[in-house]
Amino acid sequence: MNRAVMKKTMYFFVLPALIFYLLFWIFPILKLFQYSVTDYNGYVQSFNYIGFDNFKTLYREEILGVSIKNTLLYTFISVILGNIIALALAFLLNANIRAKGLYRSAFYIPTLFSAIVVGFIWSYIYMPDEGLIASLLNKLGMTGLDTNFLGSYDKALYSIIAVDIWKNIGTSTIIFLAGLQTVPQDLIEAGKIDGAGRWNLVRFIKLPLLATSVTINVTLSIINGLKAFDYSYIMTNGGPGTSTNTLIFAIYKMAFTEQLFGKASALGIISFAIIIVITAVFVLTLNRREVSA
Amino acid sequence: MTSWKKKVAGLTLASLAVASLSACGSNNNSNSEASGSPAASPSSSASASAGAGTDASKPVTLTMLLSGSKAANGPDFELDTLPKLVKEKFPNVTVEVQKLPDDQYYTAVKAKLASGEGPDFFLVFPKLANMGAIEVAKAGYAADLSDLGFWDNFSPSAKNDMSYEGKPYAVSRGMDILGAYYNKDLFAKAGITEIPKDWPSFLAASEKLKAAGVTPIAMGDKDPWVIQFGMYQLAANSVYPSDPEFDTKLQTGETHFSDAGWIKTINQYKELYDKGYVSKNSLGMASAQAMQQFVDGKAAMTFTGTWDLPGVTAKGAVDFERGFFSLPGNDAGQPVYASASTAAGYAINAKSKNLDVAKQVFEYMFDGQSPLFQAWAESNTSIPVYAGLKPNNDMFNDVLADIQSTGHAFYFSNQMWPAGVSDAMQTKFSEIIGGKKTTAEDVAKTMQSKYDELNKN
Repeated sequence: MNRAVMKKTMYFFVLPALIFYLLFWIFPILKLFQYSVTDYNGYVQSFNYIGFDNFKTLYREEILGVSIKNTLLYTFISVILGNIIALALAFLLNANIRAKGLYRSAFYIPTLFSAIVVGFIWSYIYMPDEGLIASLLNKLGMTGLDTNFLGSYDKALYSIIAVDIWKNIGTSTIIFLAGLQTVPQDLIEAGKIDGAGRWNLVRFIKLPLLATSVTINVTLSIINGLKAFDYSYIMTNGGPGTSTNTLIFAIYKMAFTEQLFGKASALGIISFAIIIVITAVFVLTLNRREVSA
Repeated sequence: MTSWKKKVAGLTLASLAVASLSACGSNNNSNSEASGSPAASPSSSASASAGAGTDASKPVTLTMLLSGSKAANGPDFELDTLPKLVKEKFPNVTVEVQKLPDDQYYTAVKAKLASGEGPDFFLVFPKLANMGAIEVAKAGYAADLSDLGFWDNFSPSAKNDMSYEGKPYAVSRGMDILGAYYNKDLFAKAGITEIPKDWPSFLAASEKLKAAGVTPIAMGDKDPWVIQFGMYQLAANSVYPSDPEFDTKLQTGETHFSDAGWIKTINQYKELYDKGYVSKNSLGMASAQAMQQFVDGKAAMTFTGTWDLPGVTAKGAVDFERGFFSLPGNDAGQPVYASASTAAGYAINAKSKNLDVAKQVFEYMFDGQSPLFQAWAESNTSIPVYAGLKPNNDMFNDVLADIQSTGHAFYFSNQMWPAGVSDAMQTKFSEIIGGKKTTAEDVAKTMQSKYDELNKN
């Protein structure tokens, strides 16, 4: 068999995967565009084409703005805080301390649980008056503090972001830790010889060499933040009111409780556009950034 | 290195796009998903034995999808008893039962029905409710059950509420009543000698409880649907007595949520929060947690329905006697109206491959004497509407006797609304609970605009 034939035959091997991909990924995505201009309710198979009414309604209603705001806030805070904390933890866990292995496992354990377990446990921790946090504060004599975390319009979103960070910190920490361990010892020694202090070693040697890990972690947490759904669904039902509605949660609720699949598809397309824009900005910045290694 | 970066960036873009789309894409195309999922396999095995309808030798598998949870103790009627007893009567029939939590039930059963992989039996709610009889009948998913022989034994209202164009599409489990479960010991301790019979006396009783240092009402508003439990009882007194056709007139635009009745209802419910009668921080508490407060004797009342009896009577930190009354939203001098409604019921999939067998099972189950019927009657948590059956618990006798003698009861409002209106109500009312400056008028306005949006369809 000569090489040219070999090459052509190879294409056939792609076919099954390609068909599967087109049928179960691309086709549904195209259907989304179709549904977005209909009044399909996801249930009765006959529907009408209603033009851009779904988009117009969304534009008028406050849910679109609220869910975009919540999603962006969610992403921003979880990316920034999550990575800073993970980085700090990685430095700590990389230091020569006793029972290092134990700590490393401890911080990774939350990652192993499913979101539903974590969300459920944390809704008890957050329970007003009798939850873990509330009773702890009581024991410490700090009464009179507002412990209604999930039931408060101001605190609910931040409370679930905190859980998300807590759960995902393990992954980011591991990646940073791995990055830290690849920092060549000779560079650090060279720095020391040149009289660099502890801070300068971190600032000018370790952090720049961690750039790749930072990229990966930021990337992952942006993805995670923009598709935030789990904790709104498990812990707060998007509430109180709409204060923890993220884009994906709003789509879910619209489709399944209000049975407005058409409108939910329209919202899906809007979120798609938003996510594309955010990602494009992110990608451009990333490419422009000078990488040192 | 730069090209590697580009790859990561490109990958990010791709995965984000896919992530966002797949979340919605799969919503809309449950067809393709369901057909590939193992959950669909029971019904495909059922279709493999297609045509076995009348032939008693061929094995038949019937699937049943229900909402609810497994009985806390003892065998569960649908999960354990029903398949066993059906097997005894029809040796070739295997019933596979699955129960899902309420929200997931709606999602799952609709996706399965829409994709042609629907269960043979499923749970249907009365009238226009979410998964309501009218909706499923219109969509052609539920089978017409008018040829079954037992309808004379069911109360006409139970049959009517499950009917579309005069034909019944589901067999109701009975009647559900919304009310206030209360702790008799705490009521006595606070000096409340008789059950409140109108709104002013209810407020006075709550005030007494509060003064005695007891939380009058525990509600788990983190699960926003519990807001309906109080609201519909109040609506039964403040909306419907003066206009029983209110919801029908909503459809034609003759009445609106912004009319005096609903404003009064919402304001009444708001009053309970404004005066601090509902447990502080209720928005941070799930319904199970609120129920725990009640059974632990920390709160004197909780609003829910007859179906929650097992939860309400569960053993808590202290022992006390429970009671049940209709939340009196009526003005002084007016009679109390209860909020009572036909309970959810079993329907048969119109597209079932084993429609005949499924109907035979129903005939057997509701024949009034079979072991299956007995087991069903004993385990039923709803108030029976079958001739000759008595409720399984005495707690509801007073309310029930009142409804039966006076007829003073109205259905749960959402049974006449498109699904989604009650959600709008809950979402907006949560703002009131959360201490925002939302008024009853704002809540009514939100409900009306959601109604208008959904009523078009």
